[in-house]
Amino acid sequence: MTGARTDALIVGAGAAGSLYAARLAAAGKSVLVLEAGPAWKNEDLVSSLIWARRLRWGGPPVASGGDNPLGVGFNTGWGLGGAALHHYGTWPRLMPSDFTMKSDHGQGLDWPIGYDDLRPFYDRVQEEVGISGDADEEVWRPAGAAYPLPPLEQFAQARLVSAGFEKLGMKTAPSPMAILSRPYKGRDACIYDGWCDAGCPIGALANPLVTYQAAARKAGARFVTGTYVTRLIQGSNKGEVAGVEYIDGDGAAQRAEADVVILAASTIGNPAILLNSTGEGWDGGAANSSGLVGRYVMGHSIAAVYGFFDDVETQNYLGVSGAQRTNQDHYDKTSLGGGAFGSLQWQIGPATKPNDLLGVAMAKANLFGEDLTRFMDRAVHHMAVMFGFGEGLPVRENRVELTDAKGPGGTKLARVVHGFPAPSMKLWEKASELGVRVMDAAGAADPWSGPPASAHLMGGTIMGSDSETSVTDSYGRCHDVANLFVAGPGLFPTGGAMNPNFTNHAVSLRGVEHLIGNWPK
Amino acid sequence: MPSASRPASDRRTVLAGGAAGLLLFTLGGCDKLMTAREAREQGADFRNLTAQETRTLEAFGEVLVPGATEAGIAHFVDANLVRPHADCLLTIRYLDVPPPYGAFYAAGLKALDDLARASAGKGFADLDGAGAADLVRPMLAGQMSGWNGPPAPLLYLAVRSDAADLVYGTPDAFERLGLPYVAHIEPPTTW
Repeated sequence: MTGARTDALIVGAGAAGSLYAARLAAAGKSVLVLEAGPAWKNEDLVSSLIWARRLRWGGPPVASGGDNPLGVGFNTGWGLGGAALHHYGTWPRLMPSDFTMKSDHGQGLDWPIGYDDLRPFYDRVQEEVGISGDADEEVWRPAGAAYPLPPLEQFAQARLVSAGFEKLGMKTAPSPMAILSRPYKGRDACIYDGWCDAGCPIGALANPLVTYQAAARKAGARFVTGTYVTRLIQGSNKGEVAGVEYIDGDGAAQRAEADVVILAASTIGNPAILLNSTGEGWDGGAANSSGLVGRYVMGHSIAAVYGFFDDVETQNYLGVSGAQRTNQDHYDKTSLGGGAFGSLQWQIGPATKPNDLLGVAMAKANLFGEDLTRFMDRAVHHMAVMFGFGEGLPVRENRVELTDAKGPGGTKLARVVHGFPAPSMKLWEKASELGVRVMDAAGAADPWSGPPASAHLMGGTIMGSDSETSVTDSYGRCHDVANLFVAGPGLFPTGGAMNPNFTNHAVSLRGVEHLIGNWPK
Repeated sequence: MPSASRPASDRRTVLAGGAAGLLLFTLGGCDKLMTAREAREQGADFRNLTAQETRTLEAFGEVLVPGATEAGIAHFVDANLVRPHADCLLTIRYLDVPPPYGAFYAAGLKALDDLARASAGKGFADLDGAGAADLVRPMLAGQMSGWNGPPAPLLYLAVRSDAADLVYGTPDAFERLGLPYVAHIEPPTTW
């Protein structure tokens, strides 16, 4: 049992849920956070990519299909901190053009707000959390306050690959990282061990345990782990939610009631809960008069590009898992031509350990036996890496939906169906070609690119101007249910080519402050 | 922190051991926490895999990543197949194969064995190096005539990554490769 009715009930203790909890508790609201997974602590974050698999979704299975299935198992989180516990801390802002895709190009969607609406929230979040970077060097960066911390230290592979960009007349700059280059607000600085994917136990990387969750607990918010929310409870009418049903740690069905419910249970979890919540006037699920709950799910394509520098120790095992430097010369959505559409962002020089999905051994997955042994001996010392993140065009057909398979509490399990539209695949092809040219220009031996891959989960509960074309308003309030909010990258109508967590924080801060100032009666 | 020979008395101990690179094995009727390599060396019992599956998995892992057999790939996979999905350390949880994973490995290894018998008249583990490599080479592309099992690319990637974890992903392996492990929190024992 979770005790008495609260002012606010938050489902999910990831980045968005933790930020909401911190602000609501600080505003004097009683806050209960229900989290399906375990109560991780910093000391649980052992430096091992094998161990790190336990930080990924460990609840009821989610199927993934379509022409380009999204990596649900790799991109999701499980337990306190959610996916942000193992995220890489690469925190670029979206560009102004990302908010006006439909107006500018007649494709995809527009946001109901513009960059200028989010700018002050980006600025405040970066000051609270601490971002390391060089705003002047990022010539593409939209207007905003300078970063509070200087860039992270750079290692050999980033310098080597950046030289290739420069030879082709392109520019690079330090990546903006939510990782501390110096001690900041009681947290230690990064030691560049490259284990970000396994979680950062010293708190140099801005995971929720050391940022907003710590603040939320201090302000009185209560976190209960091992509680799997199954559905919403309808209030006195279809426009009101009374609370949630959940399965507790002992497997018993429970209820929790609150004045306001905030779904922050991930891009997949939020629509799954909404679609599983039926009742009078909720025939297609809660907050779904538009029929858009679960629709417009998006990811980023990844063009993985590699090369060897045999005369140099590339130090590819050092640094951070995200990136050391960035290039955004092809952020304009039509700049690559040839039928490609969407923005492109390069992340240069991520720390690459020998094993795991993004590790050295997977850089040439076709190799095995002695060929692999020889490749590994060479690559762990001399390989350089960069990833091109390509925008996935938002299309209605990409979706989270319910299957007939039964889950906890009589719910139906979710499935994600995703395919990159042809212009997005063309973007990936063009990015791969460009990346190999960059490596070649850098003097790399045997440059190559990998097969299509994807990262990041966005959309599915998109914000918009009205209840016919979107699920929520720009603050995350559901059009159909006045005291029900959605938080997280699921709100994004477009995802640009930028890692989503900085924008997730900015949107969440804007949403929660509006909620506090406009508390539902 | 539990030592390699300390009996595992409860789930908390097992989880702590997992974080350290230790897994729960049965040896001489007693449960013990050991690395996969130690479990193989000491002949620990298998809890999920059959003898035939074990032979095939060791042979398959060795073809993919030399050193996998000695590193204990069969014991590593076997021990993880009996853990709850949320505690499983296998790469397969990244590949969006629905748990439980035992059926996937069993069906995949059987398909590999059946294909070897159909094409060469003997099980996969009895093929010579060249014959095994010929069978494995088209797996990633899914170009497997006569394959009757889960998607061959998924099986290839899963077992190859399991093997790479043990051969390349441990502090010992880093040392062999000449890489500093530079851990925040060092796994207290090697895998």
